[in-house]
Amino acid sequence: MDEYDEMYGIEDDYEQQFADELEVMAEMEHEPPCGVKVSEFRSKRQTFEEALTSADSALLKPVAAEALALEEDECLTPKAKKRKHDVAKKLHFEATHDEGDGDGDKEITPPSSPEVYQRSERTRSGFSLSLSPSRPVVSEPVSVMDISGLAVLQESPKRVREPRHALRRPPASGDYITVTDCTGNRVYLRQDPDLDPDLQTPDPRFFRNSQNTLGLLAVPVEVLKEQASERRHRQLVEESQRLTELLNSGIDPELLADEGSEDTEDVNVRVSDESSGSRLWVDRFAPQHYMELLSDDFTNRCLLKWLKLWDSVVFGRERKPRPPAAESRVNGAQNQNQNQRFKTKSQVTEEILEAELDQYKRPKLKVALLSGPPGLGKTTLAHIIAKHAGYNVVEINASDDRSAELFQKRIDTATQMKSVLGANEKPNCLIIDEIDGAPSAAINVLLATLNRKDSREGEESTSNPLKKKKKKESVLLRPIICICNDLYTPALRPLRQQAFLLTFPPTQQSRLTQRLAEVTRRQGMKADTGSLMALCEKTDNDIRACINTLQFLHGRGQRQLDQRVVNSMSIGLKDQNKGLFSVWQEIFQLPRLKRKRIGGDPHGGFEEAGLKDVTQRLQHILHLASSCGEHEKLTQGLYDNFLSMKLKDPSLLGVCSGLDWLCFSDLVNECVLHGQNYSLMRYLPFLPAAFHHLFAANSVPRISYPNSHYEGLMKTQHTKNALVAMVAEIPPSIRTRICQSNLCLDILSLLLELISPKLRPVNPQLYSTREKQQLCELIDTMINYNLTYRQERTPEGQYTYVLEPNIEDVVRFSGLPPRRQLTYQVKQLISRETEMERMRRVERAQQKRNPQQTETVEEVKEVKKPQTQKPKIRNHHQRLENIVKQTVVENKPETDFFGRAVVPKEKVSPNTSTEDDGKPGGVSQIGKAVGKSDVWFRFNEGVSNAVRRNVYIRELL
Amino acid sequence: MSLWVDKYRPTSLAKLDYHKEQANHLKNLVQCGDFPHLLVYGPSGAGKKTRIMCLLRELYGAGVEKLRIEHQSIVAPSKKKIEINTIASNYHLEVNPSDAGNSDRVVIQELIKTVAQSQQIQSSTQREFKVVLLTEVDRLTKDAQHALRRTMEKYMSTCRLILCCNSTSKVISPIRSRCLAVRVPLPSTEEVCSVLMSVCKKEGLLLPAELARQVAEKSGRNLRKALLMCEACRVQQYPFSADQEIPATDWEVYLRETANAIVNQQSPQRLLEVRARLYELLTHCIPAEIIMKGLVTELLSNCDGHLKPEVAQMAAYYEHRLQLGNKAIYHLEAFVAKFMAIYKKFMEDGLDNFMF
Repeated sequence: MDEYDEMYGIEDDYEQQFADELEVMAEMEHEPPCGVKVSEFRSKRQTFEEALTSADSALLKPVAAEALALEEDECLTPKAKKRKHDVAKKLHFEATHDEGDGDGDKEITPPSSPEVYQRSERTRSGFSLSLSPSRPVVSEPVSVMDISGLAVLQESPKRVREPRHALRRPPASGDYITVTDCTGNRVYLRQDPDLDPDLQTPDPRFFRNSQNTLGLLAVPVEVLKEQASERRHRQLVEESQRLTELLNSGIDPELLADEGSEDTEDVNVRVSDESSGSRLWVDRFAPQHYMELLSDDFTNRCLLKWLKLWDSVVFGRERKPRPPAAESRVNGAQNQNQNQRFKTKSQVTEEILEAELDQYKRPKLKVALLSGPPGLGKTTLAHIIAKHAGYNVVEINASDDRSAELFQKRIDTATQMKSVLGANEKPNCLIIDEIDGAPSAAINVLLATLNRKDSREGEESTSNPLKKKKKKESVLLRPIICICNDLYTPALRPLRQQAFLLTFPPTQQSRLTQRLAEVTRRQGMKADTGSLMALCEKTDNDIRACINTLQFLHGRGQRQLDQRVVNSMSIGLKDQNKGLFSVWQEIFQLPRLKRKRIGGDPHGGFEEAGLKDVTQRLQHILHLASSCGEHEKLTQGLYDNFLSMKLKDPSLLGVCSGLDWLCFSDLVNECVLHGQNYSLMRYLPFLPAAFHHLFAANSVPRISYPNSHYEGLMKTQHTKNALVAMVAEIPPSIRTRICQSNLCLDILSLLLELISPKLRPVNPQLYSTREKQQLCELIDTMINYNLTYRQERTPEGQYTYVLEPNIEDVVRFSGLPPRRQLTYQVKQLISRETEMERMRRVERAQQKRNPQQTETVEEVKEVKKPQTQKPKIRNHHQRLENIVKQTVVENKPETDFFGRAVVPKEKVSPNTSTEDDGKPGGVSQIGKAVGKSDVWFRFNEGVSNAVRRNVYIRELL
Repeated sequence: MSLWVDKYRPTSLAKLDYHKEQANHLKNLVQCGDFPHLLVYGPSGAGKKTRIMCLLRELYGAGVEKLRIEHQSIVAPSKKKIEINTIASNYHLEVNPSDAGNSDRVVIQELIKTVAQSQQIQSSTQREFKVVLLTEVDRLTKDAQHALRRTMEKYMSTCRLILCCNSTSKVISPIRSRCLAVRVPLPSTEEVCSVLMSVCKKEGLLLPAELARQVAEKSGRNLRKALLMCEACRVQQYPFSADQEIPATDWEVYLRETANAIVNQQSPQRLLEVRARLYELLTHCIPAEIIMKGLVTELLSNCDGHLKPEVAQMAAYYEHRLQLGNKAIYHLEAFVAKFMAIYKKFMEDGLDNFMF
């Protein structure tokens, strides 16, 4: 803290702008928000400071100096150095205390496990807080974090108070804190609000030290004792932490393991470098603090701010309202620092962050979505920030089962439950890593969780309080951070709109190099900045890849890293996943820039540049092409674009060989796909290499996306569909003779010619017999080949007749002169005639199926009136007969209006009716008449279609 | 049956207009009531299908002409459903297995098995075998052709296969050896002319011999095309005149223009234009080998005698690769580019020689 004060204290602006960060830093140093480690830091630090203050007396100083000297060689950055240093010191002093004056207090046992250790720390911090004048007393351990008046804390020695405040039962009045020691005994510590920092009792050790200032020994006894116990304690702590690590890994592998191991790590690095050789350096040197993060500061700050927005709902704390003036000043400051482009972007983000909270006091966007290529530290950032904001991190990643049900379960567990066992009382923060690989069902589950509130809002207001409470629980009240590499995965689309998007910019090379230098130094490797820079460049500033490469080299016994090694290495290379366009670009463009730089570089071989350049380029393109993966698209892009390059190829030989390469590639591809001979696939990347060799030029190529193949495919499909539609209805006798190929090649083109004869645009009634015959043939052909004209409305509003199925498209070529078209009227005429002929044919076919009817057709023609009875009993006849049967039995012989019997005078067709209907004789004739009449009606409540009559097409046409 | 092609198609072996000797052979073949598997091949428009139908009619009588279309759906082992249309009479079944694309093997196996395994009930009155007519056998995949081998032998007792294709070069030799190959060559120009004349006579039209000859030549002796052309001429202008314009198929015109474009200029830009035209042809379902053939014919007529062997050889080379490969456009364009290079060099050399 003191360092940061020194650094930043002067600038008020800064304090305003980075309030959140400062807060975190403060928390980081003075609060144990998330685990053993930090709390340890803090406590140690304090004691160390105590020691320092007490060591005004010159006696203690040499010890500190000695300790400093001892550990200097192993130190990291200045920042970290100090901290580490403190850690060591802290541990020592802690031990002394426990031995020295800890004897007195029975409640708190010596720190055999970090749990207890932490506990005592926490109580102490609670006390220290109560000392701060600026703040009221706080009862919740978490809210302690808000302290900003930290300067006071440093001087406050608190150890001494512990035993006095430990009570067996809760105090009757005043605030207190509950503490359970390792044996399970619970004690209550009273918080004394009246404590005045000035009146605090001085550190007993201070007195002790001061007493010993006159000692005869060169090194005071106290110091010697401390050193001895320090050693012992160190072993003790180490062992205990290893134990806890083991235990924790059993309980909560994700969280505690890495916290515990961090601690061990710090010690291990010091004690034995070799013992931890099996661990990945990436884990070992992972940042532990906000300030150690390598990722972009703005991104870090944004995420932190977003997480802080949750404070009000999670911790019940109100946000500090910020003066708007300060805000604008902040922006002003930013404007100066950052260029115009970033300003707007950052402002947008700021706006989101400043936006109002919703009714549950949650931020508007309930999910943060971090995206960026691998190795930028996304996961690390999320973990660290969540920890620092006081959350317990629950992570779901790709290694977990992410089916929808399990996902739902895990989300619910993480967001709605809280650990009841003492270990993690902090609220959960769910981190969903590698979300771009999750099935879309799982993402929908997540979305449903996010939006749960919205849907239930209405209900809640009306439902009873009990129900309300129950429902309120299901509302998402915990922050969720999602992490993905590819923001534009289709499955993420719905999530994108609801998430606070943070895209990671690439890591700054200088920072990465600096960190790598530290790593190498700590591991005893020698590396100059240039080679580290080269390494960074090679891996595209991928932190993970860099460190892994270093470890790999280290593991192979290489202690010296120079540029040559880096350049010759192929291990640091990731699969470069470049966009297709950039690949095409690189293929068609000579790498002019690169060559210049190599030339200018003192290390990069001048001597190699000339001759090796071609081979190097080829290798590069080969690598690029083989890592691209989408060979089909790549080839297509080359094919579509190579002719539009500026070719200096008057004899066309290059073009020929390029096309030969394409042919070869096609053959190979065919072999691969058809014969499943995948070993041939390795030859495919040579095509791009050859194209680079043949067609690369200095100018920047203009590349268009290859869609010719796709378009061709679509058009072919269109053509085929038209053909299939046409063939489908052609009668079988013709269909046997045609197949698709001869339709395309021979028939259709001429058929179109055939169906557009010269016809006079007059009423067909006026046609001569020959014209009529011609029309007749035309229509016959059209029906046989399943063609009709269909009316269509053009975009201009005119009506046209087009062939259906549209075989004109199949036959016509764009460049050719248009053929003679029939006029609209003629087409209309043909269309009408075709329809009628179709209907006639259908009727004829029906009649063919009932051969008896055909006889009657002739009769009808003679008689002219459709009064003949159909021999077949029709539907309505059957129905009528039933009715007639029913009614006739009751009926008396028919009477007229006056009650006289009526002689039936119905007109009954003479020839067929009497023989054909086999009606029982009991039915009266009137009934017969009703049943037999060709016209009938049914009462249909006045609807006009009640009267029905059989009408034949032939009568109409 | 209004098109002349359909209206005047002969229905019995005796009524065939040309290759009468072959017709006699076929008649003799089926006279005894049985025949081996047949492989009928020949160019398009020579009358293969007509001959086959005549043969079947000779064998089974007029019942073969009662055709119906059946939609069959077959489930492949991979649970893929394949829909295919067959044309069948009571005595035979006609399938174009290549309609099923890559799954043609399944179609062949399933269909032939179902047909072949059902015995004819009244074998006394009818033949004891059914006929399966497979068209476009040269478009079958190798898998399907191999599947055909065993099936052909196994169900010999209940079923005969008639395979119909344009060229035997794509039919694997085991199948060729199992069949009696019948080649149906194109009719000669005179034969085409006589057919045209007789049809016009039946229509009551007067066809000048000169026009008939022109039509026959323009159609490339493809009888179907010749008849269609003739009818198109009739539609265009009835009282025929000898120097009447004969309508050509669009794709041929287009291809000719493309060839001219190639000859006129040789540059990458022109190659791009040609590519677009080739794509256009391909999307109109014109088979790549036909395009290649058409191009070569046109180009050869345009280039010098010295170049001809070289161009022909190149064409053969690229045509072969085209058959092996998958993307026809690459090979067609490669041929065009090669021709351009050769032609350009030839022209420049010629120019140099002329100047010095």
